[in-house]
Amino acid sequence: MMSEDIVKESGRSGAFIVSAKKRKLQKLSKTAGESILLLIASFVAIVVLFIFYFVAVDAVPYFQLRGFREFFTSSNWYPADEPGEFGALAIIYGSGMVTLGSTLLSVPMGIAAAICLSDILPFSVRQYAKPVIEMLAAIPSVAFGFFALVIFAPLLQTHGGPILMWAWWVLAAPFLLLAVIVIADLLTAKIEDQNRRQQMSLVLLAVFALGALAFLYWVGSVLQGMEIITGTNALNVSIILSFMSLPTIVSVSEDALQAVGRDMREGSYALGATRAETIVKTVLPAASSGILAAVILGVMRALGETMVVWMASGNSSHIPEPWFNYLEAIRTLTATIAGDMGEADQVTGSARYHVLFAMGLLLLVISFFSNLVSERIVVRQRKILSGQ
Amino acid sequence: MNLGTRKILDRSFTAVGFGSIAVMGIALLIVLVPIITNGVGSVFFTGTLEHRKMLFNEFGRGNTEELVKENAVSEVYRQQIYGMLSAFESELETMDAEKKQDYLSKYGPVKTALQTLIGPLPGEAEAILTRYKYGQTRWGKAEEKLHEFLYETKWDFSNPDAMSKEYFVSRATEFEGTSLVKLFPFVEEHLEDVLRPEFTVYWGFLTDSSVDSHIFGGIWPEIQGTFFLAVGAMLFAFPLGVIAAVYFTEYAREGFFNSILRSANSTLAGVPSIVFGLFGLAFFINTLKVSESKSVLAGSLTLAIMILPTIIRAAEEAILSVPKTYKEASLSLGSTKWNTIMTVILPAALPGIITGGVISLGRAAGETAPIIFTAAVSVGSAIGLADVFSSPTPALSWNIYNLASEHEAAAEIRHVQYGMVLSLVSIVLLLNLSAILLRARISKKLKG
Repeated sequence: MMSEDIVKESGRSGAFIVSAKKRKLQKLSKTAGESILLLIASFVAIVVLFIFYFVAVDAVPYFQLRGFREFFTSSNWYPADEPGEFGALAIIYGSGMVTLGSTLLSVPMGIAAAICLSDILPFSVRQYAKPVIEMLAAIPSVAFGFFALVIFAPLLQTHGGPILMWAWWVLAAPFLLLAVIVIADLLTAKIEDQNRRQQMSLVLLAVFALGALAFLYWVGSVLQGMEIITGTNALNVSIILSFMSLPTIVSVSEDALQAVGRDMREGSYALGATRAETIVKTVLPAASSGILAAVILGVMRALGETMVVWMASGNSSHIPEPWFNYLEAIRTLTATIAGDMGEADQVTGSARYHVLFAMGLLLLVISFFSNLVSERIVVRQRKILSGQ
Repeated sequence: MNLGTRKILDRSFTAVGFGSIAVMGIALLIVLVPIITNGVGSVFFTGTLEHRKMLFNEFGRGNTEELVKENAVSEVYRQQIYGMLSAFESELETMDAEKKQDYLSKYGPVKTALQTLIGPLPGEAEAILTRYKYGQTRWGKAEEKLHEFLYETKWDFSNPDAMSKEYFVSRATEFEGTSLVKLFPFVEEHLEDVLRPEFTVYWGFLTDSSVDSHIFGGIWPEIQGTFFLAVGAMLFAFPLGVIAAVYFTEYAREGFFNSILRSANSTLAGVPSIVFGLFGLAFFINTLKVSESKSVLAGSLTLAIMILPTIIRAAEEAILSVPKTYKEASLSLGSTKWNTIMTVILPAALPGIITGGVISLGRAAGETAPIIFTAAVSVGSAIGLADVFSSPTPALSWNIYNLASEHEAAAEIRHVQYGMVLSLVSIVLLLNLSAILLRARISKKLKG
């Protein structure tokens, strides 16, 4: 557009004389070029449509053959039998179980790390912390799977009890201690006499601390006494998956935290809040929707992961007993698709082949909607924050 | 709340933040350190005479004279071992039938253990599988096998409530009173003379093809396959991604259609990798029939679709970070928009675009799930460049899975698995490291 103006203006000088015909040609080639660009850019949308179409086309025959009920309500998974049974409930449950487990581990840790990166660490240190996260994100999933299967699973099987006990002490002891301090403080806050209050709070502190210590010790010894039958179980996979989804959660929630402006933080500081109070009461609520988007993306990372769960989850299609027992082997949707296709491929067209596409469609639909939701959330947060 | 308590809470809040970053760093170390230390062992290790024999026979490498000399020394001790075996065998003939049967059943495992340790015994038919033609090629493994030779592993099932415990029974005591008793201390003492361990640097691990499905030899077919797949994916995805990014940043107008395209991009980025594999199978192989069955081409196309959103995003960011003044200066000189993009904006954004490309290359090299149904085979030799349109290939990522979970002798070839994991991880991390360094340089340059 600008160049056209120039051509018009300098038309008299002779150097830039462009005939009407040539200009028309130029314009034509410009529109043609732009439409080619548009075509290539819409390639991505076409691919997404194609993925949905081709996965769905191979998934539908399964539901035509067997209906919906068995897939979602039965947990008998015997695809090789004649006639086969295709109850995927236990497999869906296994997927949910490892996703939940990894989320429980990665979300608190990821948000804490994001806060640390955005608000606590000085810039010079942050530069060294970021590559660590990037490296964690870059390690191929099969390498994590190999670690889980060859190193972590045997360790969990032979020294599972002590490992669990140590993890419990390291994680729970500091938090229980903090809780004890806060509770003692809150309970004595109403006493007006300074001396009495201090005495009272010391007494309460001692009593609660002893109680907490007993609790810690009791749970710890229960954990230590546990016998882990197989190291390839839901716990193993959940831990590894949580480290794989951490980078996503950290980087997306750090963006959300940084989008909350300086002025909000400074307003809070000016009112006398400590840094922790500022973050918990001001910054986190303002960034909450962005963090939610981060959590959704992290969950999707864990749900869609294949290699780690295929190698280290034990691949046993049953609902653990009791239902929350993370020390049992489980089986997930992704691992089933990866593991069963090798044999199902030979019988293209059978229910055994199409059921795997049905599982793929289920994953695809879940990922599509969670992506949509997280994207909406991010857009909305950006609007709200820029509006203020 | 008490001011002191608030301070404690504030400090511990900081500590939790630091703690989670530390946990990430420690996790990275815990994963990487064993992979690196064990992976290095696939190239640097104490190799035995069997290793040098294997190299000579299978790859034609090594010094013939020295090998003959070494073999002669080893043979002296071997002959003594063989002598003890034949002495025991003739002693067996003199025993009564029941005793003979008893000893014979114990003698079989001894012979098998000895054979795995030092290679085929005389008087046996030539083995068909290469793995039975040689003894232990690595001294570390040989020591393990020596223990298996000296002691029989048994399981204690006496306590029905607990898991069974393993315990060892010395084989020498089982042959008390026969001539074979002397064999065990002799082998224990002279194993070094038989196998002649020596520090070995085996770069061939990276460049040799595998022998007898990775029992011996190297991982070149996998490295080459990974290279083909990743580079092939880049050939498709990189030009498409950069052009799409140019459209999004320079031409797209805000509107419904544009927001759909953007949604499509983030949807594609969120699709689980195994679903890409299903799509590749259903579309490229079963519908388009780009090849008869699995092929490098189908795998590359599938991987290309997977990394496309990453490339688009990185290229967009790189183009947007080019200062507006560059573009305005070019336009004010009378250059057309297209000309400005080609001569000013893209060159300025190129390092950033390449950074994104390099990271995507690493991602394509490391992914497994999309190539399971479209490109990967577990065993196979390296394929030629002309075969990429029709034949599948072994690839590092897939073969790590395959060797670790499905190989019949998975526990025997841990060193190969570790070597593969280390190769893959270092390829990916080196690519990422170079991207990080490149990016640091760009940001320095843009700051001026």
